Formats: sequence, structure tokens, C-alpha cells
Amino acid sequence: MELNPIISVNDLHFSYPKRPVLEGVDFTLNRGEIVSLLGPNGCGKSTLIRLILKLIHPSQGEIWLDNKTIDRYSHREIAKHIAYIPQYNNVPFNYSVLEMVMMGRVAKHGFFVAPSAKDKEVAYESLRQIGIENLTYRTFGQLSGGQKQMVLLARALTQEVNTFIMDEPVSGLDYGNQIRLLELISDLARQGYTFLKTTHYPDHALMVSSRVVVMNEGKIIANGKPEEVITSSMIREIYGIEADLINYNRHTWCIPTFSKGVL
Amino acid sequence: MRRIKPIGWIGGSVILLILIATLSLLWGQYPISLETLISYLQFKLLGGSGNETYTLLDNIILQIRLPRVLLAILIGASLATSGAAFQAMFVNPLVSPGILGVLAGAAFGAALGMLISEHWYVVQILAFIFGFIAVGVAILIGSMVTNSRSTIMLVLGGVISGSLFTALLSIIKYVADPYSTLPTIVYWLMGSLTMADLSGVLLISVPMLLSIGGMILMGKYFDILSLGDEEAKALGVNVIMVRLIAIILATIASSLSVVMAGIIGWVGLIIPHIIRMAIGPSHRLLMPLSAIVGGAFLLLADTISRLALSVEVPIGILTSLIGIPVFIIVLKNARAAWN
Repeated sequence: MELNPIISVNDLHFSYPKRPVLEGVDFTLNRGEIVSLLGPNGCGKSTLIRLILKLIHPSQGEIWLDNKTIDRYSHREIAKHIAYIPQYNNVPFNYSVLEMVMMGRVAKHGFFVAPSAKDKEVAYESLRQIGIENLTYRTFGQLSGGQKQMVLLARALTQEVNTFIMDEPVSGLDYGNQIRLLELISDLARQGYTFLKTTHYPDHALMVSSRVVVMNEGKIIANGKPEEVITSSMIREIYGIEADLINYNRHTWCIPTFSKGVL
Repeated sequence: MRRIKPIGWIGGSVILLILIATLSLLWGQYPISLETLISYLQFKLLGGSGNETYTLLDNIILQIRLPRVLLAILIGASLATSGAAFQAMFVNPLVSPGILGVLAGAAFGAALGMLISEHWYVVQILAFIFGFIAVGVAILIGSMVTNSRSTIMLVLGGVISGSLFTALLSIIKYVADPYSTLPTIVYWLMGSLTMADLSGVLLISVPMLLSIGGMILMGKYFDILSLGDEEAKALGVNVIMVRLIAIILATIASSLSVVMAGIIGWVGLIIPHIIRMAIGPSHRLLMPLSAIVGGAFLLLADTISRLALSVEVPIGILTSLIGIPVFIIVLKNARAAWN
């Protein structure tokens, strides 16, 4: 596959006062990839995502988005290239699902311009594409975690972009919803969307990634095909636990070794 | 699911507003019948032979009741839209238009004007200017600390700025002549629409309507700002600019309301809550409905304050008396709209 970079990050540094978070990160996201950012808590995954979205500013280094550095984009222009799906959270007001999804259209319009019938049509179409049109008039705050995450995916679709960035998409979801969401992501990836997602689970990185980037202590320590990057020694290094990688059903799975013995 | 369409809500509330406005024009110490009002309007709009009653009606309607009706609507609409905008921006149900200190600043400015000058326009200009100064102080304090959630610092800045100008107001009260200036200041602070005159109302209606209209058109941003700054930015919203424009518009509307009628509390706090309970939280409908219902509410309160007792009750007292029980009911049912 010919490499077609959407996002390139060169020698990126970021630090809070007295605490460095990222130290010299180089990273590229190419069109059509599903890249999983894997690493322990506090390794800098979320910081890297927030830097790419220009929510915070690097202390050193450059971020390129489609041949321009990110500081030459407004947030509105970035939203026309990248859709961000945050971890689902509580909203203060009881917006309906349709209202939540329509919010994805805000970057398409001028300051004092109200959303049109076309925006509503795009919102309905996105809900259909995710398969949750039955939720259209429900209250967002009363949905389950998995449903909320799917609504946020539908909202991202209304931005009509090809690149999605997800922060811990499965966090807080029950087991069934985790798997359903991962299946939905791989469906969308097959339709040509590019994904960058952070994850805590080596398993999920093995299941739904074309490439895995492993971070630890503010640096990228491995970058490559999932089966090559996720190894017993890497798990030991970044998480401090033992795990076996086994092949089953034409797929590699990560099984932690429970040191106390299974009860 | 919505049973009533947005256009139905807007139409219904406009009819309610017109109804209250008509009653307010008719009722008073000199009652006017509906027939008289209609024939008077025909005479005014279409011309024709007038009689002596119309001269009297000119006086009562054009000079006294109409300016007051228009002012009540404008101020109610200003306070309610400012309150709705701030509640979304600060993601807090207890926020009212005074959160950034604008009312305290404007009250101080007005009192200062009464102390140093006998001209009413000096009082009004100082009220407007100090309303803006107080908000400026709040923003300055709020922006001194970076690396924190900016809205919380902004609210703290507003609390500090509000306290500062309340203290300065106390100084003015302390040094004011207790037999002439002090009663004027105290009465002013209770809020009243008695100062309404047609030319003054028409003059301030332009900036007030522009501010209200601007805030209504920004409804889509208030929806998104309530999700938090980072999500709003990622969706493509220029958070700082949207917030600044909303604060400027709300400050213009609120300080002009103090300029014309002193401090009128509770309208900006309760009206958005009531609307949200009825129609849900989407600000694209919440903002225009807050404006219309806020105007209708203050007009109704003012009409009651004119008629209920032989002595006119300052409207600020009345809105508080109505507002407190309503707010308790609203808080009890707040789950309907707030998570």
C-alpha cells in the first residue's frame, strides 16, 4: 500500500510545569490505517491526541495535517479534517440523541447561521449508518454507555471527514458493548475511514488495528504490525506483568499469566 | 418525543405576550375598554376625525402605559436570554445574568451618578459604564490564573468583582445624604419601571434588541459549549471568541436593563429553567422562547405591581416574591432538564 500521510508528528515534546509528558515523539497516521496507541496510564497517549487536535500546545516539535502545520489551522478547519470521539461522558442538559448528533454539523456553518434541513438529513443518515435510528428521539443522558459511544460515532460521521480519533472508545463499556463497538469500528474502517484510537487493552489492539504504536513514559517504544509489536517481553516491559501470546482461530490473542494461579 | 412543534411554542408564547400587553394597556387607574383601544388604534393608524378622548388617550397610552409595556418586555427578554446564555456557558443551574458582576457594577455606577450629579443621563451613563467595568474586572481576575478550568475562574472573578462593587455601593450609601440621595438610591435598587419614557425606551431598544437577537442566533453554540471546552473545540467551535461575544451581548443587555429600571432579580434565573422544563434543553428554541416568555413574565409582574395595591410595589420586590417559590418548584423538577 502506498503511504499517504494525513497526520505527521515530528520530535514532539510536551510538559506540564516540572513534569515532562512527551519527550521526542515521531509519529505518522496514513490514510486507510487503523492505528492503536497502546500504553499504561500516564504514558502520554491522551496528551498526544490532545496535541494533534490543538487542544493543548507542544513545548517543542511540529504537527502536520495535510501539508500544513497544525498551528496554521483554526479549530473549525481541523474539525473539517478530523472528527474526535471523546470518552462518553455525562452531559449537563438532557439533549435528545438527534440534537447531540446535529452538533457535529457546527463547523459547516458561519457564525450566526442556523442549521438547515440538510443538516438534519445528514444526522438521520449517520444514525442509520451506525444502525441506531431507533434511538433518534431518546434522551442522550439516559442511554447505556455503549449506546452513547455509538451516538458519538454517528455525530462524528456528520462531520463528513475521513479521519476519526477516539480516546479509549471502550472504557466503561460492558463486555458485549466493547466487542460490538470494536466490530463497528472495523466495519467503518472497511468503508475507508482512517482511525487513530488509544487503548488500554493489548487484546483490542490485536483485534482491530492495522498498526500498533506502543508508548511508555512519554516515548514511542515500538511501532509496527500488531503481531510483531505485541509480545510477551513488551507486555512485561510496559505493564510489569507476564502474558502469553497464542494463536487461535487464525488470530493472535494475549492471555495474561495469573501469577497466583487461577482459583 | 415532542408533541408541539417549535413554531407552535413560539406562536403560542407570542400570542400570550400580545394578550398580556393588551391587558396592560387597558388596565390602570383610568380603565380603558377594548373598543376604545381599537378605535383609538384605528384613528392613529388610519387617521380620521379625532375627539377629545383621544388627546387623553394619547397621554395615557403613548406617554405612560406603552413605554412601560415596551420597557418591561425588553428588560424581561434581556434578563432571560442573558440568564439562559450564562447557564449554558457556565454549565450551572444557579447562574443568573449577574454572575459576572454586571448588576453590582451598574448599581454602583447609578448610585455614584445620583451622588455626584442631578442629571438623570449621568446616572444612566455611569450605570452602563460600570456594568462593563465590573465584567472587565471579572474577566481580568479570571484570566490571571491559567492552567485551570477557565469558566470556574471566570465565575470566581465574577464573585470577587460583584463583592467589590457591592462594597463600593455601600460606601456611596454611607456618604449619601440620608434625607434626599439615600432614599433615591435605595428605591432605585428595588427596581422600578416608572422612569419609562417613550423616546428613552425607543433609544435603548436598538442595542437591547440587537443583543437579544445576537444571543438567540448563538443558540447552537450554547448547546455545544455546555459539553465542555475541549469537546466544543474539537467540534470546531472557537470557544474563546464565542464566550467573549456572548458575555459582551449579555452585558450590554443587562446593564441597559439596570440603566432603565434598577435591579430586577430572578427573571434571568427562573425563566430559562421553566422553558427548559417545558421544551427541553436545546438552545436553538430555548433562547427565543426565553426572550418572549421573559418579556411576558416581567410585563405581567409589572401590571400586577401597578394594580394589586393602592401603593405601587417596586417590581424587583415582586419578582423576588414570585421567583422564590417558582424556583423551589423548578429545582424539585430540575431532573427533567438537567442531568
